Amino acid sequence: MKRYTLLVVGLLVIASMVLSACQQGTQVVTQVVTEEVEVVKTVEVEKTVEVVVTPEPTRVDRNGAWVDTIVVVEEPSADAAVTRLQNKDIDLYAFTVSNAEVAAKVAASPELKSERTFGSYNELTFNPAGPIFEGTGKLNPFAVPAVREAMNWLVDRDYIVQEIMKGLGVPRYTPFNVASSDYARLAEVVRKVELKYAYDKEKAQQVISAEMEKLGATLVDGKWQYNGEPVEIIVLIRVEDERRQVGDYVANQLEDIGFTVTRDYKTSAEASPIWIRGNPNDGKWHVYTGGWITTAVPRDLGDNFSFFYTNRGLPQPLWQAYTPSEEFDKVALDLENRAYKTIEERTQLMGKALELALQDSVRVWLVDRASITPMRAELQVASDLYGAVYGSQLWPYTIRREGEVGGSVTVAMPSILVEPWNALSGTNWIYDQMLIRGTGEYGQVYDPFTGLTYPNRIEKAEVVVQEGLPVGKTLDWLTLEFAPSIEVPGDAWADWDAEQQRFITVAEKFPEGTTALRKSVVYYPADLYEKVKWHDGSPFSVGDVVMGMILTFDLGKEASPYYDASQVPTLESFLSSFKGVKIVSTDPLVIETYSDLWNLDAELNVSDWWPFYAQGQAAWHALAIGLKADGAGEAAFSAAKADELQVEWLSYISGPTIDILKAKLDEASSEGFIPYAPTLGEYVSADEAAARYANLAEWFRQRGHFWIGTNVFYLERAFPVEGTVVLRRYNGYSEPADKWLRFSAPPIAEVEVDGDDRVTAGSEASFDVFVDFEGQPYPLADIDNVKYLVFDANGELVLVGQAEAVEDGLFQVNLSGEDTGKLAEGTTRLEVVVVSKRVAVPSFASFQFVTAP
Amino acid sequence: MTEATQSPVTASPSSLEKKATASTLSRLAKYTLVKILTLGVTIVIGVYLTIIIANMGGEVDNIRRGEIRERVALMVSMNQDLRRLPAEERAKYINDMVKIEEDRLGLDRPFILRSFTYLTDAMSLNLGRAQFLTSDSGSKQVRLIILERLPPTLVLFGTANILLFFFALFIALGLSRHYGSFLDRLVIALAPTSAAPGWFYGIFLILIFAAVLNVLPYGGMVDAPVPDTTIGYALSLLKHMILPTLAIFLSSIFITIYSWRTFFLIFSSEDYVEMAKAKGLSSQMIERRYILRPTMPNIITNFALLIIGLWFGAIILETVFNWPGLGRLFYRAIGLFDTPVIVGETVIYAYLLAITVFLLDFIYALVDPRVKVGGEGPKA
Repeated sequence: MKRYTLLVVGLLVIASMVLSACQQGTQVVTQVVTEEVEVVKTVEVEKTVEVVVTPEPTRVDRNGAWVDTIVVVEEPSADAAVTRLQNKDIDLYAFTVSNAEVAAKVAASPELKSERTFGSYNELTFNPAGPIFEGTGKLNPFAVPAVREAMNWLVDRDYIVQEIMKGLGVPRYTPFNVASSDYARLAEVVRKVELKYAYDKEKAQQVISAEMEKLGATLVDGKWQYNGEPVEIIVLIRVEDERRQVGDYVANQLEDIGFTVTRDYKTSAEASPIWIRGNPNDGKWHVYTGGWITTAVPRDLGDNFSFFYTNRGLPQPLWQAYTPSEEFDKVALDLENRAYKTIEERTQLMGKALELALQDSVRVWLVDRASITPMRAELQVASDLYGAVYGSQLWPYTIRREGEVGGSVTVAMPSILVEPWNALSGTNWIYDQMLIRGTGEYGQVYDPFTGLTYPNRIEKAEVVVQEGLPVGKTLDWLTLEFAPSIEVPGDAWADWDAEQQRFITVAEKFPEGTTALRKSVVYYPADLYEKVKWHDGSPFSVGDVVMGMILTFDLGKEASPYYDASQVPTLESFLSSFKGVKIVSTDPLVIETYSDLWNLDAELNVSDWWPFYAQGQAAWHALAIGLKADGAGEAAFSAAKADELQVEWLSYISGPTIDILKAKLDEASSEGFIPYAPTLGEYVSADEAAARYANLAEWFRQRGHFWIGTNVFYLERAFPVEGTVVLRRYNGYSEPADKWLRFSAPPIAEVEVDGDDRVTAGSEASFDVFVDFEGQPYPLADIDNVKYLVFDANGELVLVGQAEAVEDGLFQVNLSGEDTGKLAEGTTRLEVVVVSKRVAVPSFASFQFVTAP
Repeated sequence: MTEATQSPVTASPSSLEKKATASTLSRLAKYTLVKILTLGVTIVIGVYLTIIIANMGGEVDNIRRGEIRERVALMVSMNQDLRRLPAEERAKYINDMVKIEEDRLGLDRPFILRSFTYLTDAMSLNLGRAQFLTSDSGSKQVRLIILERLPPTLVLFGTANILLFFFALFIALGLSRHYGSFLDRLVIALAPTSAAPGWFYGIFLILIFAAVLNVLPYGGMVDAPVPDTTIGYALSLLKHMILPTLAIFLSSIFITIYSWRTFFLIFSSEDYVEMAKAKGLSSQMIERRYILRPTMPNIITNFALLIIGLWFGAIILETVFNWPGLGRLFYRAIGLFDTPVIVGETVIYAYLLAITVFLLDFIYALVDPRVKVGGEGPKA
């Protein structure tokens, strides 16, 4: 028997390990699972009634989400994800894949498709210190603006896009993102700049040689020397992505024209102390392969010039070394301060700034990178042009399988449940936020293609701005008015007294009265409180809104029992422009907001006070128990405060703070706790508080967490270690499922130009411009404008004009005899830019014809 | 590592027994004390070196300061409201945010002071708080972060290594009995396949069984959605363990069998084994008493190091199989320069290693009568 003892012991050890790993959590949670099963069953019963599988559904009698369940899993590898997509193991990979090989694999598979997004962009950042570095005594040619400007000619952006990025990107020459309203608005100016700075190595060499000689450098055996030593250029090359190859390419180009190049390969962490924190005059680098990110469709890029080219941009040593020309600095400042009265005036300033920016070129823009979100071909989901699917606010409303209602969709993402979830200062990881947006809704939602907002929970809005501000409106769900002066009413709330826990009125803060540059009035629907319910069954109330108003101020106030020092900068920046808020009516809910902060688009000037906080939506009673924990010093909403107090960071979905929150819920329930009672107590009754705490307790009993919202999905369960999350359709959602369906695909226009191949100078000519989307003519009402540019045989821009609308999907470019008479003989290029109202990406097409005498 | 000495076991005269016992206890106490002190100093040095290396001698502070500024700059660049602020207010906001983050990470204190705090925390097993990482369930306590990742690593690597250990042991014993057989020659021929690491086999296994045949999962620990019942969970876990376990198993089994079988063959040809055979003892008794017993210290050492080796899991293998274990945690911690987590894992490993080394000396003495703890004479 003894000889088997070892074997038996071994097997016992294995068995005990397996069983110990099978434990799923605490006893409480295990019990919850048992309860949960019944709830799921209830949902499924309803589902069987509602499921209607039709080949091509147009409208269905269904509210909320199209699918019943979203299962979220972790998949760090894009390559593996694509294989899993092909095997139907997952339906969507919520990640922006920029790997060209993976993108090609997706494109080649008939079972898959992808949504293309922008977002990140690359540039060359130059060190402008010098021309002699104080730290090394060496020459820095990039201290000279003309040398930096010439770098635009030295780099072939098409090569970078085609050969390095393998087509996943578009060349970029200016501080404007290619998919932006400003790019579309200034398309002809940008196009001129693009042509002027097109790749021309010889020109670059000529200009740089001339400037180097002025600096006292000499070309010896094809190498630049200064004071008898080679002129060394240190290229700080980021290694994490294609910027490595871009850096190598730029280094090669510099070597070709005579520089001695040192390639300094660095990760982000290694490079940042050198380029952003180090003193540029130390001479540790000359060129850095920079990268930036935009997460939403940009609506106003006017301040890009100040931000990227002047010392007002950032208080970092590199920015402080920027010395733009006086003229450029003034134009950039005017654009930053929006010192213009009309859009036309702004357009002129922007055009001027573009020219001067390219002459300054402390940055040489290279490429707007594109990436894809791969998914099964039958899946439909709204993807944001910049934020992709995971950044889209509309994904929960639009995700579905073509021709199917109900069912389950499996979404994979590279990482999941990275940090604790709490609405005030919890996780801001993009993947966690995607799920948070699935459970919490906004008052207004962003159009994923234009960056404008649409009303979601609000009904309508009025915007009043001070006369002279160039604010315009595009959509008809709001009104826009101008007023000579906007007085802020004395009884509006302007600040918060954390000690007394009451609002400070405008009359108290500004005894002599005050005005604002912008006022917005939002009107919520009359049936708001009946239609909207939190996932735990509690009806939405004005208390949720007032809680949001209080928390805008309270955490940043030192007298608050929940004071959090990390909130102070945010509060201070908010107060610098905020003038007041007034609840005009609680039922129906109407709120006026006064502020000096304004945007060019009226749609972006609406403050709705819907309780979606920095990191998620939250009900007042759910926040109340967190505040109790925070106030008692047992846990903290923010990571900074948690670290300072050496306590846990609050998570409403799992982990050690769940027990703390449960204890606080019991306390709150027994005390009838209403936080900020002197103020919130006026809007929340004791009965409402009791009912809400009871609802939350029941919710916790069933699901083991405290995360509730009002959106189309609720969090069924999070499995942190296993890396899985299950969201289920919220049956209580009031809005129809097809409300946002029109945003399932970006209506980027497809343009073709046709006309005579040969035009006689001095005679009339006409060209047809066909504008389609998915084979259908693009409605005229959705087209903002169609511009044309004509470049003659010398490459000069000779004509710019607007094409004439003929019918849906058809425009005409008509050139008069006088126009064609201006064209030089030879090959002429007609370029057409189509700007849509429905998508911020302008479409281009060109047509070549011969101009004959 | 062992300092146990070997000496022939001889009988003592009864008059000297008490004196000898006192002498043995005194020797044992002295040996134990010296051993504990030596191991303690070794741990302190090892952990402090880890702290210094993990922080690049303080250079990580500069990296962090740069990263914070870059992160805040990027955040401001993306936030239209912040970009609308006047330049002075924006600069104040940025500087305030940078200071808050620097203070949070303790960058307001010199690294040398913080390094001793890390050391004190580590040695007292108060593992402190992570700087960036949180446990999957949301805790920032290093202890909880490690404890959360421990079971997945233990269950995977424990199962794989224990299977490997016993399979290798019994097959090696079997092969030593059938030296030169086809199976023996096959194992020798396959031994070089162990040059490839487990993750390498893992990729192929995923390709075959998940991507092509679609019969086993690509990775992860359980199905999604997670089964509600314990039995369902266990079955799902077992299903997900098949490929990684097989990968670990395949990567080591042949070389282990080969080396142990050689080891057993060497012991099988000792004179006392020949003598036992000549005396007509059964082959099982010869195996148990004359081959296995003298090899016990080596086997126990192997087993003990295997168990503590589980602490680190396998970084790449866990990544390939998306297994939520300590290896991936360690990898992330290194990538983020999260010193408390790195030190936390290291110090536990160091303590376990030290305790194992310490106990092994005594275990040797128990299992092998030729070994005497703390005795004078040549070192083993």
